[in-house]
Amino acid sequence: MTAAGLQNLAGAAPEAKASWPPPAWLHPAGLRLVRLHLASRRVPAALAALAVCGVVMWAALYWHWVLGSGTGAQSVPIVLEAGTASVVAVTTSSPFGELERAGVRWLPWLRLGTAVALAGAAVGALCAGAAITGDLSGGTLGVLRNVAGLTGIGLLAAAVTGGGLAWIAPMAYMVAAQYAIIAGWTTPWLWPARPPADHGAALCAALVLAAGVAVTAFRGARDPASGD
Amino acid sequence: MNIELEELTRRFGRNEAVAGVNLRAGPGVFGLLGPNGAGKTTLLRMMATVVSPSSGRMRLFGRDPVGYAQRKEIRRRLGYLPQNLCYYPAFTVLEFIEYFALLKEMPSSRVPAAVAAAVERVDLGGKARAKLRTLSGGMLRRVGIAQAIVNDPGLLLLDEPTAGLDPEQRVQFRALLRDLGQRASVVVSTHLVEDVGAACTEVALMNQGKIIFRGTPDELTARGIRNGTGDAPLERGYTAVLAEARA
Repeated sequence: MTAAGLQNLAGAAPEAKASWPPPAWLHPAGLRLVRLHLASRRVPAALAALAVCGVVMWAALYWHWVLGSGTGAQSVPIVLEAGTASVVAVTTSSPFGELERAGVRWLPWLRLGTAVALAGAAVGALCAGAAITGDLSGGTLGVLRNVAGLTGIGLLAAAVTGGGLAWIAPMAYMVAAQYAIIAGWTTPWLWPARPPADHGAALCAALVLAAGVAVTAFRGARDPASGD
Repeated sequence: MNIELEELTRRFGRNEAVAGVNLRAGPGVFGLLGPNGAGKTTLLRMMATVVSPSSGRMRLFGRDPVGYAQRKEIRRRLGYLPQNLCYYPAFTVLEFIEYFALLKEMPSSRVPAAVAAAVERVDLGGKARAKLRTLSGGMLRRVGIAQAIVNDPGLLLLDEPTAGLDPEQRVQFRALLRDLGQRASVVVSTHLVEDVGAACTEVALMNQGKIIFRGTPDELTARGIRNGTGDAPLERGYTAVLAEARA
């Protein structure tokens, strides 16, 4: 293949003079970088997994896999919330290792945007699944709070263990939360055990999410292969 | 001077991987030799700004990578091939190289031509649209080299670049190194002394985190005339210097 042919493959276009400088996010190179970054993080597969969680949520509510009241009503939604948080956490794993860390551009913003967008998609998928039946104990507010906090836990875990193992932390927290619901614990740090409108629980979940997002943006998931 | 290192040290726990290295180098191909665990890879990783020194001073292109803005400027002009190339297997060759060209803040209008040129320079034109998971180890190594040179770097750091390349590719790669060394500082860590002899203008030998020899390949060869062991003249120089350091 010739160099000219390769240039065409790589998407070369005749240079066009813009009459105004486009904002960085609208710049074709920026969009291309975002697309490649999302593909390398397996975001399309993550979105499919989140959609599956939404469908399972709908099925669980439609076929009454959960009871209408009592502690059992919360168990399946919390499992699904932890599942979506795990999906978000796993996508923080970089397939490029330190090669990517030697790059210059945008990585903190790309990491931040990916994590926040996927957390939003997780809430959207679960809420959409629940909205069809309109039967979810705790409602949208509860899903938002729980997914936010669990995602924060997953992101913090990714900074310690690497993205590949980051799913363990939200799942472990979910087990602790299930126990807390049964045992009647009321600490706000176990927010799924608190009512959806509880301010303390919401604040704790928000703090954990903020910490997780900040660590993900500035540091990224740990690269276990680097040995550092 | 593109590279200025003063008493550069890096510790991992109790282990001192790099122990007070001093080095100044301008354009040219600089070979880094040494036994396993000598500190070559850690030194390269520090120069690639992916590992911070524990102590000492490092300036690349006259800039200190400790500051964010200066580190960014250094990275823009840096090419790096790590020992273990990590990649996303579903990317094509073009996508992989393009991703790193974009990460290095190349102007978007230059990216397609630069990616095409890098692919051609490593002779992977026929595999440009192949997924990385379908490539052999040697081809992946060449993809790694292509991403390292895509931004036409002023400082190129290559860790074991010829591992997995067939003899013909190694000959081509040495020619590429000599060409790049005309304008840039190229630091090549390798175990293959014949690569050093054929492509490097200068060579350093590391042992236990220190540089124990620095000179031209001819000077290293001369050190092995009397008491070196090995099949090739450079190998004899290498073993003689190491034996002296260990004695």
